[in-house]
Amino acid sequence: MKLSEHLISFAGQDLLLTNQRAVYWPQEHALVLSDLHLGKAAHFRKNGIPLPTTVSEQDLFRLQNLVLHYTPQQVIIVGDLMHAGANTEVALLRDLTTQFPNTRFILIKGNHDRHSLQQLQGWGIFAFFDELQLSPIRFSHHPRHNGHPTISGHIHPGIRIQMPHKRYARLPCYVVTKDQLILPAFSLFTGLDTRSISDNAVYYAIYGDRVFEVSP
Amino acid sequence: MNKTFEHTEGYTRITQWMQSRGNTPFGFQENTWKKYTHGYSGMVIAPTGFGKTFSIFLAVLIDFMNQPEQHKNGLKLLWITPLRSLAKDLARAMQEAIDEIGLDWIVEVRNGDTDAKMKQRQSRSMPDVLLVTPESLHLLLAQKGRATFFKNLTCIAVDEWHELLGTKRGVMVELALAYLKSQYNQLRVWGITATIGNLDQAIDVLLPTEKKRAKIVAREKKRIEIIPVYPDEVEVLPWAGHLGSKLADKVAPIILASKSTIVFTNTRNQSEMWYQLLLEAHPDFAGQLALHHSSIAGPIRQWIEDALSEGKLKAVVSTSSLDLGVDFKPVDTVIQIGSSKGVARFMQRAGRSGHSPFEVSKIYFVPTHSLELIEVSALKEAVKTQTIEAREPMVLTFDVLVQFLVTIALGGGFKPEDMLPIIKSTFAFSEINEEEWQWCIVFITQGGSIGRNYEDFHKVAQQKDGLMVVEKRRIAMLHRMNIGVIVSEAMMRVKFISGGYVGMVEEYFISKLKKGDKFVLSGRILEMVTVKEMTVQVRSASGRAITPSWLGGRLPLSSNLSHFLRQKLALSTHPGTTEKELRFLHPLVARQNEHSHIPSTDEFLVEYIQTREGYHLFMYPFEGRLVHEVMSALIAYRISCLFPISFSMAMNDYGFELFSDSEIKLTEAELKDILSRDNLMQDVVSSINSTEMAKRKFRDIAVISGMVIQNMYGKQQNNKSLQSSSGIIFQVLEEHDPHNLLLRQAYTEVFNQQLEEQRLVAVFDRIHQSRIIFKFATGFTPLSFPIKVDSLRQSLSSEDLAARIAKLQERTLYKGKSEKEKRK
Repeated sequence: MKLSEHLISFAGQDLLLTNQRAVYWPQEHALVLSDLHLGKAAHFRKNGIPLPTTVSEQDLFRLQNLVLHYTPQQVIIVGDLMHAGANTEVALLRDLTTQFPNTRFILIKGNHDRHSLQQLQGWGIFAFFDELQLSPIRFSHHPRHNGHPTISGHIHPGIRIQMPHKRYARLPCYVVTKDQLILPAFSLFTGLDTRSISDNAVYYAIYGDRVFEVSP
Repeated sequence: MNKTFEHTEGYTRITQWMQSRGNTPFGFQENTWKKYTHGYSGMVIAPTGFGKTFSIFLAVLIDFMNQPEQHKNGLKLLWITPLRSLAKDLARAMQEAIDEIGLDWIVEVRNGDTDAKMKQRQSRSMPDVLLVTPESLHLLLAQKGRATFFKNLTCIAVDEWHELLGTKRGVMVELALAYLKSQYNQLRVWGITATIGNLDQAIDVLLPTEKKRAKIVAREKKRIEIIPVYPDEVEVLPWAGHLGSKLADKVAPIILASKSTIVFTNTRNQSEMWYQLLLEAHPDFAGQLALHHSSIAGPIRQWIEDALSEGKLKAVVSTSSLDLGVDFKPVDTVIQIGSSKGVARFMQRAGRSGHSPFEVSKIYFVPTHSLELIEVSALKEAVKTQTIEAREPMVLTFDVLVQFLVTIALGGGFKPEDMLPIIKSTFAFSEINEEEWQWCIVFITQGGSIGRNYEDFHKVAQQKDGLMVVEKRRIAMLHRMNIGVIVSEAMMRVKFISGGYVGMVEEYFISKLKKGDKFVLSGRILEMVTVKEMTVQVRSASGRAITPSWLGGRLPLSSNLSHFLRQKLALSTHPGTTEKELRFLHPLVARQNEHSHIPSTDEFLVEYIQTREGYHLFMYPFEGRLVHEVMSALIAYRISCLFPISFSMAMNDYGFELFSDSEIKLTEAELKDILSRDNLMQDVVSSINSTEMAKRKFRDIAVISGMVIQNMYGKQQNNKSLQSSSGIIFQVLEEHDPHNLLLRQAYTEVFNQQLEEQRLVAVFDRIHQSRIIFKFATGFTPLSFPIKVDSLRQSLSSEDLAARIAKLQERTLYKGKSEKEKRK
C-alpha cells in the first residue's frame, strides 16, 4: 500500500489527510474514516447482481494496513459501517477487529447503521455513539453547520477536474472549511457526489499516490 | 392449389380493395404474396413510399382468406418494428385496411407506451395482429403466458431490418426469432429492408435456418434530385461553422417556396443554432418553425410530428430524430446542413420528401464550409452507382445473451441442453464454444466462478428436473425493468420552476453551470435556478446563452463516402471538369495546388507547415474524424519513438494535424516508416489508452448484462441501495477475473467499433500502395485551414475565435500574395 499524507490544520489541530481515504490525528492517536458500506456487494448478490466479495475484502485489507502502519489507540468510523443488514461479508469485520485487541473501534451512527450495540460488540466494535466529542473536534455522520468544528461523512464527496486533452476525471476528495471537514467514502465501491460544490471550501483530491489541493 | 393464384378469393378481394383506392399492385408486391402463399420466408427490398409494408401485410391477409381453416384464434401476425411512433401509425393504417376489406381482425400495439390495463387484457386475449418493439417482444417472452400467446402464430414480420441490423437490438431480434421458431416450426419470417451494401448477408442474419427463402427486389427506383446551395463567394481558406448565418439567408427562400420542409442537422447543438439562425433570417417563421431532437420533451415532439403531418408547420429543424418515422405527406423538400456522413443516411433523408412513389425526392445540400461542396458531387456519384454502406452484424454479444437467458428463465424456464442449439442457430452466436456457453450458465446461476466469492448470489436457479428458473419476485421485477439494450447517458430533466417540462440535457453539461448561467434548449433561452436530484429547474431568460454540446452525435464518415470524396477532390483539378460544384471551388483548388498539392486517388498528401506559432504536420486520409482521432494518436506515438517530442492534435473529416513548438524533422524514409502497415494494431494499442476506452464500452455492457441497474428518474427511489458504478466493477474484474467474457467483450467492441480495426488496416494498405507526396509550406493551405480552426475552437470564445481566424486568414493570404509578387 503506497501511503502519502497531506498535513493540514483544522480546529487548531494537526491532521494528516491520507491518500487512502482516511485521516490520522496524531494528538489523539486516532485513525478516522467513514462510509465503509460493508456488505454492499453481498446485498447486490442477493438481488441477482454478481459482484464478488473481493470488493469488501480489498477495503478491509486497506484498513488493516492503515492500522498496522499507524498503530492507533482508536479507530473512529464516522458512520455507515454497514450497507444493508447482516450478511456473510460483515463477518469479515470480526476477523479484522480480533487482529487488533489493543485498538478501540468506535462507530458513530450513520443512516445505514441499523444494528444494536450487542450485534456490533459481537463484531468487535467497542462503542456506538450518535455523536462523539473529542475536544475540540466533534464527530457526526451528517455534516452540521453550527460553528462547532465537526468531522463528518455521508456525502461521499467528489470533485471534477480537467485533465489534459479535454478529458475530465472525477476524484474522491476531502472538503475543508473553518468548522467542517467532510471525509471521502472509505470504500472504493461507492459513487461520488460532485454536485455539492461550494466556493468557500478547500478541496483535497485523491489521485493514485497523491493528495493535492484543488480549486473548484 | 387448384386455381391459379390470381383467381383465388384472397387475391381478388385485395386487388379490388386496392383498385377502390386507385392503386394496382406493384410487381414485387405480387411476388411477395405468391411466395408467402407457397410457404416461403423472405426479405422484401424496395424504396420508401412504394408499399413495402403492405406487401407482407396483405400477403398474410390473402393467405388467411384463401385458407381460413389453417388459421386459428388469437395472434396470427407478429410485427416487429424499431420505432414506437411508427408502430402507432402503422397499426392505424392496418386496421383501416382490414375494416375496409371486411375482415374482423383486430390490430393492436404493445410497447412502453401501452398502458397497464391494455397489457393485461392482451395477455388474457391476444389480438390478431400485434405490433411490438424488440424490447416489448422480450418482455412477452419473460411472461409465463408465452406458452399461449404465440401458439397460433403463422408469421413474424421484421420491419426496417436495416436499422436493426448491426445493433444489439438486432441481436435481440435474432434470439427471439430463434426461440419462437424452435417452439413453433410452421412460422414464416419476413423482413423488410432498404437497400444496404450487404443485402445477402442481411438475409442470412435474419433467416439463418430457413430452407425456403425468397429475396424480392422491387424494380421501381426512387428518383432523387440533389441541389447544392452555393455561398456568394468561395472562401479560399475555408472554415467550418461560420457560413451558417450567411447561408441562412439562402435557406429561408427555399423554405418559403416549399409546402413543408425538414431541415436536417447532424447534432442537437447545430439544430438549436440553426433554429435561431432561421428565425433571425426570417422572423415571420415564428410559430411555423419547430425544433425536434431527442432531448426535447416527448409530448412536444409528438405535437411537432402531428402538426407536420397535418401541414401546419412550414419547417422543422431536426437531427436524426426524424430520420425514421411515419411519412409526412406535406413534406416536399429536405435540406441537409453539412455533411450527412454517409450515403445511406443521405438517401434516407432525401426520401422523407416527395414520399409517394412517383414524386421526385428533392434534397438541398448546404455546406458549412466551402470544401464540403465536394461532398455534393461525391454523393451524386454514390447515389448514381448505388454504392451504399453495409451494416455489419454484431456477433458474440454476451451481454445480450445472458440477459436473454434470464428472460427465458423467467417466463417458464429452459433446459441448457435444449437452449444451446437454439442459440447456436443464430448468426450472432453460431460460433459460440462450449466454454463460453458454460461461462454464461455459471454467470446467471452463480454470478462468477471465483471460488466462494459469490456467496449469497441468487438469480437463476436450477430445479431438480434440470429446468432453469427465476424464483424470487424481486429479481424477476428488477430483470423486467432492465430488459433492453438502450443505455441512456446520465440525463437530467429540465423543467420550468412554474411547472412545464422542457426537455433533457446531459448531467455533465449541467455540472459545469452555476446558478444564473443561461443556456439554450428547445429553442428557448433558459436561466438555471437550481438542481434537485435529477431535475434542473429553470426560468425563461434572454440574452447571451450557451448552447449545450451533447456527448452523442459524433457520426462517423462512412468509408464509402470517403472513397468518393477523395475521387472527386482529385477530379477537381482537371480542366475539363463539368461538375458545377467542383468548378465553383476553382479558386480554392488552385490555391491548394499552388502552395501544396491536390492528391489524386493513388497519392497520399502530407504537409509540413511552419508558422510563427510552431510546426504543423498535416495528413489527409479523408477517413472521417473518428478514424483520424485514432490515426493521429498512432502517428504521434510512432514519431515519439523516433525522437522525443510532444504534440497537440486536431482533426476533421478530411485530415488531422500534429502540432509542436519544436521542429518535426522527418526524412522521406522516416515518413514512410511511420505510415507503414507493419505492427499496425500493436502500435495503435500502445498509442491509446485502451483500458479507458474499454471501461467506457463496459458501461453499456454492465447495464445490459444486469451488473448495474439503470438510473431511471422516478424509479430511482426504489433501488437506491442497488446503485453502483460500472467503473469500479470494471476495475475489480480486471484485477480478479480477467477472463470474464463481458470484460473481454468490452475490449472486442473497442477494437471493432471504436478503432474500426478492419477499416484502419484497409486505410494503411491504401497508403502503402500510394505515392506519398510530402510538401513544405510557410503558411496554411486551404486543406489545412479548417483543421487548424477546429483546434482553436476548443479554447476560444466565439468572438475571439472569429477575430483570430480573420487575422490568420489575412496573414496567410497577404503572405501568399507577397510571395507571388516576389516571384514576378
